[in-house]
Amino acid sequence: MNNRQILSAAIGSLLALGVVSNASAAGKNMEQCYGIAKEGHNDCSSKKSSHSCAGQATKDRDAEDFVAVPKGTCAKIAGGHLKS
Amino acid sequence: MILLNNDLSDLAQAIVHGKAPSSQIDTSNQNYSVAIGIEVYRNNYRGNLHDTLVGVYPVIEQLVGKDFFRLLTRRFIGQNLSRSGNLDHYGAEMADFVAAFEPAQELAYLPDVAALEWACHCAYFADDAASLDIDKLAQIPPEQYPNLILHIHPACHLVRSRYPITAIWHAHQLSASGDFHIDLDSGSSNALVSRKNDVVLVDKLTEADAAWLQSIQAGTQLGEATASTLEHYPDFNLQAALLKLVAQNVFENFTLGETP
Repeated sequence: MNNRQILSAAIGSLLALGVVSNASAAGKNMEQCYGIAKEGHNDCSSKKSSHSCAGQATKDRDAEDFVAVPKGTCAKIAGGHLKS
Repeated sequence: MILLNNDLSDLAQAIVHGKAPSSQIDTSNQNYSVAIGIEVYRNNYRGNLHDTLVGVYPVIEQLVGKDFFRLLTRRFIGQNLSRSGNLDHYGAEMADFVAAFEPAQELAYLPDVAALEWACHCAYFADDAASLDIDKLAQIPPEQYPNLILHIHPACHLVRSRYPITAIWHAHQLSASGDFHIDLDSGSSNALVSRKNDVVLVDKLTEADAAWLQSIQAGTQLGEATASTLEHYPDFNLQAALLKLVAQNVFENFTLGETP
């Protein structure tokens, strides 16, 4: 195969599979779920929190810390709240 | 950058360097001497930066242990001022710092692991960008494929190392399980950092895929990048590489370059 054929085959397979990865859309479909973060694994926190932000939660399930979850998920999680 | 007035910058200097402030700031307090008061601020200042570094470099902290890491960050903080109001920008110099940090010289892989963690940190906070538009790509006539210039997503980084840093990184994630034995002499690894659905991904690339991606990152057209990669790595499989990299959300867009 020459270079041109290699390119055609490779991009052809990409088009055929219709691979779609849509990362930017995800951010818009997320919600901030408070009260469910594991210590050190929060995405961020409310302004009332005693620490700065991501990964700094000092205890599990702090009501001031949140994890970003897909919209509609937070209400299904025990202890999860959309507001701090 | 906002410049503080003289009094405040004098206080900032005192906090950073532990000297008594020389300005007109009222430092009188019934309970504490000026020196102790400054130490309180100084402790908070260092504590904040330490916590920030713990957040950015959790694998380094696990590799060297909490106590050693505290010593390491203390030295780092002494040498590196925070230059932005945004703490997310703090800690970029860690890889260089660790490379020169005498007590950590035995851990030769540490600087590259630090570089990988910084890349992950930057990937997490990188701007959002569209993903490669496959429908738009489908409209390009195949004879123009060699002229395609693929644009790399702002969250994508390639970290190349002589050490198996990808395996080391994965072994220190929460999701890691089982018995890990990592052979430090198992050869180089090319860590691909990308972000998909707001999650930072770390994946291993072959030498050929990494060489190709590096060429694409430099703005080389698809035809030329592929030809030169095949020259050095006859086994290079563009089809497999493209599928893998598109799935990892490595590309955000493309343009068409001139035929050379």
